[in-house]
Amino acid sequence: MSHGSSFVPRRFVLGQFATAEALLEGTTKMRSKGHKKIDTHTPYPIHGLEKALGLGRPKIPLIVLIGALTGAVLAYAMMYYMNAYDWPINVANRPPHSPILNIPITFELTVLLGGTSAFLGTFVLAGLPEPYHPLFEAESFRRASIDGFFCSVEVPAGQDVDGALADMQSVGSTEAQIVEESER
Amino acid sequence: MSGAKSSAAMPVSRDPLEPALMIEGQQTDATLNDSLFDYIWKLPSDGWKKLFGVALAGFGLLVIGITITLAKGIGAWGNNIPVGWAFDIINFVWWIGIGHAGTLISAILLLFQQKWRTSINRFAEAMTLFAVMCALLFPLIHTGRPWFAAYWLMPYPSVQGIWPQFKSPLVWDVFAVSTYFTISLLFWFLGLVPDLASLRDSSKSRTARFVYGMFALGWRGSGRHWAEYKWAYLLLAGLSTPLVLSVHTIVSFDFAVSVLPGWHTTIFPPYFVAGAVFSGFAMVVTWMIPAREVLGLKHVVTLKHLENMCKVMLATGMMVSYGYIMEHFIAWYSGNEYEFSIFFRTRQRGPYAPIYWLMIFCNVVTPNIFWFKKARTNLGVMWIASILINVGMWCERFVIIVTSLHRDFLPSKWEMYYPTWVDWAVFAGTVGMFSTLFLLFLKFVPAVAATEIKELRHELEHDAHEHAHGVAAAGGAH
Repeated sequence: MSHGSSFVPRRFVLGQFATAEALLEGTTKMRSKGHKKIDTHTPYPIHGLEKALGLGRPKIPLIVLIGALTGAVLAYAMMYYMNAYDWPINVANRPPHSPILNIPITFELTVLLGGTSAFLGTFVLAGLPEPYHPLFEAESFRRASIDGFFCSVEVPAGQDVDGALADMQSVGSTEAQIVEESER
Repeated sequence: MSGAKSSAAMPVSRDPLEPALMIEGQQTDATLNDSLFDYIWKLPSDGWKKLFGVALAGFGLLVIGITITLAKGIGAWGNNIPVGWAFDIINFVWWIGIGHAGTLISAILLLFQQKWRTSINRFAEAMTLFAVMCALLFPLIHTGRPWFAAYWLMPYPSVQGIWPQFKSPLVWDVFAVSTYFTISLLFWFLGLVPDLASLRDSSKSRTARFVYGMFALGWRGSGRHWAEYKWAYLLLAGLSTPLVLSVHTIVSFDFAVSVLPGWHTTIFPPYFVAGAVFSGFAMVVTWMIPAREVLGLKHVVTLKHLENMCKVMLATGMMVSYGYIMEHFIAWYSGNEYEFSIFFRTRQRGPYAPIYWLMIFCNVVTPNIFWFKKARTNLGVMWIASILINVGMWCERFVIIVTSLHRDFLPSKWEMYYPTWVDWAVFAGTVGMFSTLFLLFLKFVPAVAATEIKELRHELEHDAHEHAHGVAAAGGAH
């Protein structure tokens, strides 16, 4: 409230559905009504959500592939540089560059960077951590991580929020409401 | 109680040939949420407090043991020449092995779509983390001066201009174990995030909501997030699977690449991995049997889960036994007198023979009781067997390391090894540290992956529905 008019709250229409199947159907219908920023909120992943939301191919596999290859190249280059190029040490007359003996660490760093990129990739793509989200304003939204199935639509500023609410009510939600971001 | 009630409510009695249930009772997402988190919202029970006190005392012993080790050097231990490796490496290998069950359950069983893994994966993964922490302590302190160890092991540019020697399995070990710890932690946490969000949302107090909310990172079950999350989880499982096999393989290379009789064996990598899974499952069973009782998890960790774990112990126990047979066979077949001597004289009839025979009893004889369904479904038998297996696996590492070292090629070099009280304090201390961390985990973090259980319930319900529908429609589509 301190800096008055510059704050424009983000507005959402949030609808709760009785079952996962009803949610999938409702989400598909909302999308066909022309709503753009649709999302679903469920306690566990539901088969068919990607299709209902119209999502494209997941990005994680490519990110992991790049991470893993980086790890492999980095590991091999590191060992080659350190043991064969920069400071070769003759230990029991082993060759300074020994591809076979480089396998274990190359493998380990492939897994390390591949796995780390899967983890970080998920959260970066999701924009998390984001402890506050306007949807958390709705008391019933607590159930989204327990046993509730929700569909949310972000209504851009200047667009008709009541129309979106009516749409949400018409696609089979048991309860629909408008949620507004609060100023902090 | 709930199981009995629901079976009474069911109109038709269950077919005894039907597979046992993975989730007992009539459950919904909400009842699962309540029952799985119930223990977290309650004040700790007296039993928990007493156990925690004992565990913390054990942890204190570790602090004392390590302090003495660092102050006096590793001369405080019983290690000598020729037994340069003893309790330090025995415990390291033992703990790392225990960790392996967690990754096996969470990753390999996920890839094989074994639905029963869902109830025990979180529990076993946590065990992995804590076991690997205990394991990591040993290579660190066995250098005597860990603050120097960093530049022998870590590839960072120092003024000395010396790099690690990447042809040494000991350096592979550093990479393998640290990768293993990191990936296990990330995998565990990734699986935990949706559960932390459920905890945040079902919390009653502001503090709990804030703390769990912070760790949940603002997870809101978004469909867009789940789409990527599922892939990340699957790929992490895919990466962890070869990783877990590589870790104990590399640990076994520490021994196998040497020329010492008893160590210089090509069967070591698979036999170490089998032994690791064997001991890991035993540790899961040791903890799970009391924990499911106290935490009220009997409806999701059913007898079916315990029975399956017994079967895994039986299978891996047989692999370990096969490893023993092959070791002895090759020692005889090679015609190498040193090999023959170590396997047929030193180990079987030498001064440490009782430990060898204890190992044979615990690892070769004990798992055979799991051929019988009566033993696989009897909690008492299972629990005692699981403890015996852990003892046996510790003895195996003792036999491999100490008996091989104490009598090698030259009889004039032979020397006995006796652990000092500091050795025992550090070993018991890691058990204390493990128990402390594990008890904290059981109290504050959901011991069962609630999100995955709900998903499983949804799937099972869906399957049952499809099945019923299919039967009614008499071969209708879908």
